[in-house]
Amino acid sequence: MIARTRLVALRELMSERRHPDGLAAALTFTGLLVLIESLAFGPGRAREPDVASGVFWIAILFASVLLSTRSFDRDLEDDAIDAILALPRARDALYAGKVLALVALLGIVALAAGTFSIFLLDLAPALPGHLALVSVLGVIALPPVVVLTGALALRVPARVAVVPILTFPMLVPQLVAATQGASAALQGRGPESLAWCGLLAAFAFVYTVLGLTIVPAAVE
Amino acid sequence: MSPSASLYDATVVLDDRLVLRRVSVEIGPGLTVLRGPNGAGKTTLLRALAGLVPLTRGSRRVSSPPLFIGQRSMLLRGLSARENLEFLAAFRGQPRINARAGINARVGISARVGASSADALRAWGLGSVMDQPVERLSAGERHRASLARLMTEPSELVLLDEPFSELDLGGVELVRGAIAEAMSGDRAVVLVTHAHPEVDADAVARLHMDGGALVGG
Repeated sequence: MIARTRLVALRELMSERRHPDGLAAALTFTGLLVLIESLAFGPGRAREPDVASGVFWIAILFASVLLSTRSFDRDLEDDAIDAILALPRARDALYAGKVLALVALLGIVALAAGTFSIFLLDLAPALPGHLALVSVLGVIALPPVVVLTGALALRVPARVAVVPILTFPMLVPQLVAATQGASAALQGRGPESLAWCGLLAAFAFVYTVLGLTIVPAAVE
Repeated sequence: MSPSASLYDATVVLDDRLVLRRVSVEIGPGLTVLRGPNGAGKTTLLRALAGLVPLTRGSRRVSSPPLFIGQRSMLLRGLSARENLEFLAAFRGQPRINARAGINARVGISARVGASSADALRAWGLGSVMDQPVERLSAGERHRASLARLMTEPSELVLLDEPFSELDLGGVELVRGAIAEAMSGDRAVVLVTHAHPEVDADAVARLHMDGGALVGG
């Protein structure tokens, strides 16, 4: 299972490296959203911790759906995914590998968008270590849900619309936890930030277990 | 001798359409040729044997993980033909011998059995293009690349859906040779085809489908 998971993750990352259209779209989208936010709210309000972190995590949420959808699109071209699904114990490895790859890609997007936000909005995080921890856990907490819904909607005709409709309500708790945790870290409220980190870790664990349980039985 | 694969009372409904109706079949060692008109349910039967479509009713049993090669190449774009074959062989647990710097070596799976992907692709006439992304290959080359999996992923049960399509005469001969090779030992090959009646001579069973059901053979 572990070796197969690594294989799938490596395959995903190699494919994305050769055709980085998903990553390019995600980076462009998050960068533009941060830029538009600073223009829409004005420099004063855009720098407020709640606003800055909220916009950042909404951008990361959309980026995760973009990246995951592109990954499944590639797999559906020429029925490439069937070559894997016909193999034994493939579905759980496919799910876990895609989650791992999405964590890695989303990490790149979050690093770029976070750095851009800090410089553009001239943010000075009071607790940079806490902010980094929230960011890492937020990036880990989103993919298990996004890949799960992508896998469940694999053969649904209106998949592009169905996946966000399924995904976003399920990710509200993670979105709130990441936003509040980042905001608390920006303002120097360490214990509160760590409490939200715990919630993010719990959600990441629960949905990973849920995905590994559901996907093998549900993916066609 | 127990069958390599079987379906019992298998029924498949896709998009409210009954595409397989109460099919019971046992696939034994040797070549089984499956024929029938378009829309008869041949591909669905093959996909049901491969576990790629859920049975609405009935059951499926296979003696070992099948190798299913469909009408489309089933190769991931962005990767080369060689990388695709290495990935699938490694995923099956049959990484290639003489791993150079391929996927298998990177994930640390030890080499075991199966022809190397490079050798297999050379044998299928793709030596000069095997490191190009598959989207740059012609449809025929992609089809040959997918059929090269017959060499890199030896399986007890091989399911081939229209393997002769998009192939030139040389490719057809390669497929026939590969089928003969795949049938060696106690292995079972199920072949769906519209053309090439000459392959029937090698078959141990001939099945015919129509309207989602087996109608004779």
